[in-house]
This record gives sequence, C-alpha cells and structure tokens, in this order.
Amino acid sequence: MRVALARAAIVAVVLLAWEIAARVGSPLLYVPPSAAVPALRDLLLLRSYPDLPENLLITTREIVVAYGLAVAAGLAVGFALGLYRTLGRVYGPMLAALYAVPAVVWYPSLMLFFGLDAASKIAFGFLLGFFPITLATLAGIRQVNPQLVTVARAFGARPATVFVKVLVPGMLFTLVGGLRTGLALSVVGVIVGEILGSKAGMGALINHAYGLLRTADYVALVVVTLVVVVATDAAASLLERRARRWTE
Amino acid sequence: MARPLIAIEGVGRRFVTSSGAVEAVRDVSLSVTEGEFCTIIGPSGCGKSTLLGLLGGLVVPDAGRVLIAGTAVRGPDPRSVATVFQDPGLFPWRTVVENIEFGLELQGVDRQTRRRTATDLLGPLGLRDFAAKYPRELSGGMRQRVAIGRALAIDTPIVLMDEPFGALDEQTRMLMGEWLLEIWRRTTKTVIFVTHSLNEALALSTRVVVMTARPGRIKSVLELLQPYPRAMESPEMVSLRAKLWSEIREESFRAMGDGA
Repeated sequence: MRVALARAAIVAVVLLAWEIAARVGSPLLYVPPSAAVPALRDLLLLRSYPDLPENLLITTREIVVAYGLAVAAGLAVGFALGLYRTLGRVYGPMLAALYAVPAVVWYPSLMLFFGLDAASKIAFGFLLGFFPITLATLAGIRQVNPQLVTVARAFGARPATVFVKVLVPGMLFTLVGGLRTGLALSVVGVIVGEILGSKAGMGALINHAYGLLRTADYVALVVVTLVVVVATDAAASLLERRARRWTE
Repeated sequence: MARPLIAIEGVGRRFVTSSGAVEAVRDVSLSVTEGEFCTIIGPSGCGKSTLLGLLGGLVVPDAGRVLIAGTAVRGPDPRSVATVFQDPGLFPWRTVVENIEFGLELQGVDRQTRRRTATDLLGPLGLRDFAAKYPRELSGGMRQRVAIGRALAIDTPIVLMDEPFGALDEQTRMLMGEWLLEIWRRTTKTVIFVTHSLNEALALSTRVVVMTARPGRIKSVLELLQPYPRAMESPEMVSLRAKLWSEIREESFRAMGDGA
C-alpha cells in the first residue's frame, strides 16, 4: 500500500513538473499533460484520427506475423545449431557477430527489398526478434546437464524421447526468457519500421501528427502505442511465470 | 555353480581425447553369476566406469564382447540392466516420485501402475514423506536413494552402480551401504558395484575384482564367503583388508606416477 502510494506520488510530481515546465517553455513543443489528456480523449473517441482502429489492427497484424516468423525460424535455427555440433561450431560465431550489428542499419535495404508496405515492417520485426530467440535456444541447449541425457539414454530413451522429456523441460526457462525478449524486440522492430517509413499503422499516424506539429495528438498516439506494447509484454510475462512454475 | 548371467569376453576400449588416445580398458574378461554382489575396485581412471558403460550399453567395445544372459549387448536395455550413477542425475523438474517413475514411463507403463510401483518403493527407500519434494529440497544421501529407487523401479535382474555413495560423507556412506545390503539380500538381483572404498567393497561384496592402473585390466579377484553383516574389526576382515590394500596400493601408486 505504501509502495503504491509512493509510486503514485512520484508520477504526480513528474506530471506536475512537466506541466509547469511546458507552460513556462513552449506548450506546443513540450505538450503539458493538460493538453495531452484532451488529445487522448479525442483520439479514443475517434475524433482526431477516425482511422485509428484500422491502423492499430495493421500494426498488431504486422507484430503477430513478424513474431510468429521469428519464433519459427529462431527455434529451427537454434535447435539445428545446438543439436548438431558441427553446424553450431561453424555458424554459431557468425550469428553472434551479426547480432552485434545495430539492426537498424539493415532497414534501408529491407525497404528497398520489400517496399513501403507491411512486408518491410514484418521483415524488420522478424530480424529483431529472430536473434534473441535463436541465441536463447542455443544457450538453453547448452544449459541442459549432459548427465541427464546419459541417464535418459541408460533408461532406454531414444533421441525423440530425450528431446521431449529432458531437453525441452531442461531448457524451458532460458527458452521462455528468449521468447519474451524476442517478442519485445519484434514489437520494437515493427513500430520503428513504421516510423522510419510507411503508409499505414501506428508509426504512420505518429509520423503524420509529428510532421504537422500536432504535438498533443502525437503524444496521445504514443500513449496508445505504449499501452499495446505494455499489454503484450504483460501477457508474455504471464506465460513466462507459468513456464517457470511448470519447470520448477 | 549357476550359469553366468554376465560374460565379458576380452573386451577393450580406447577413447580419443584432446590430448590423444587413451586406452581405458584392455582385454578384460569376467563372468558374473546370478545373484552376485560383484564389486570392481581400482585406482582413479582405471576404466571402472568404462566397464559399467560397456555393461549398460552406453559404451561400445572396440574389441571383444559383452553378453548378458547369452545375448550380446547392443545398446541400453532397460529390461535387463538398470544403472545408478555417481552423479545421481535426478530431473530437477520432477518430484521424487516422478523421478522414480521415469524408467517405467519410458516403458509405457500406465500412470496408475507406475505411481503405485514408485509409491511402494518410498518406504524401503526411507523417502515416505518426501514423495512430492523436488531434488533440490533433498540431502545428498536422499538424492542418491531416489536414483537407486529409479533403478529399482524398472525391476531389472541386473543393477549397475557407479560409485553411488562416492560423494557422501563417511557416516552416511556406511549407513547407505547397510541399507543397500538389506535391499539386495531381499531380492535376487545381481549387482555390479564400482567403488574406491576398501571397506565398502569388503562389507558388501560376494566378490571383489581389482583392476590395474590404465589401461585397466583385471589384476586379481577376491571371493568373499563371510556371512552378512560383516564385522569389519574381526581379525579375518582385517587381514582381508590388508591383502586387498596391498593389491591396490601398487596400482594406485602407478596411477599417481602417471600424473593422474
């Protein structure tokens, strides 16, 4: 209860400071909360951007597709490199090196390859989500105690059984952590992609408001986007906790 | 004498490591009769674990063959051989009773039957109140008892034990030895037991096989007909211990000289 109060207090202080600073400075550039709240109401009532639902749907769909592809490819590549040692030795280091490159440098190429529509956003969201999932799969496999595999083999387990009964439960915790990071980064990829250049989606609306200096609307759009992101992350963390309970 | 249940015939095995090839065992022949408690003892790195691996089908011989009930071992066969490892290797996400059920689960035994079998074992294992605990909540001795329970649950005629009490303190180790003896005497199982401990070997075995330093070969075999439980302080056991030690001492010394 005290903690909640303390948290509410700090939020109130920040909002108040923001309000004062924005009024003293430029209300247009700094958008005080007193301007953001009505803008948010207008946005949600579909007055300022009547096409908000369509754009929200477009962004969500891009995230779902990008993340789905990232999970499928990340698990496939991660298991291939983790289970076949030669493959892992040859390609593992290359993957880690690629991961170190700031992914945004690829985005112009992605736009050239895939155009300004959803495909380039999906590709970017995929790219960002793919690496953490692959690397978590690899790390998870390495984490499984080899003695457990020996025990399972001694008790007659075939490779498929070892996979299901030893490998997957043994790596689940790390794997789920990677899946969660991958989701967060896929979301970032799609939204950044939209902001860098698009005709539809939340990023396009944000760009539009920002370009026309409709700063209060811009802040309102950012808040809506934020809610989407926080909601997906909360859902992911719920799943993560489930998995942890199951593993322990 | 009854027919040999296990026959090891001229078995050899080498491993390739980063520092070159290592010959773990060379030309080992041994036959074990049903119901024996046969202990293999020898210096570190003498191929004791390799020998168990060969018996359990986890290691394939380069030379010779291993026969169980007259059939060549071709891989792990959980219907005839169960193994207890030094590192108990319990599944941390499974409870005690689920760990004990593991082998039965792999054999497709239905849930109710395997739960009953595992639960019936909890009493003799001294784990009655720990069925729903996870391995991390248990002491070292209890974990090893769970691993033994997992091996006993599949009710094989042969049980291989690779230094099962090696990581335990001496008191726990002695109690576990007495407990194991009790279990073994109530069944007709054949036990192949690997240890470093002279006392453990002398207290438990019907036969002690001494192996040489690497490459491991059989140096000598000691038959023990003394009734259980054995008084380790009796003059007879003390002199047997001295005899066994003189056999092993030389080999341990050589193993140390190899930089082991």
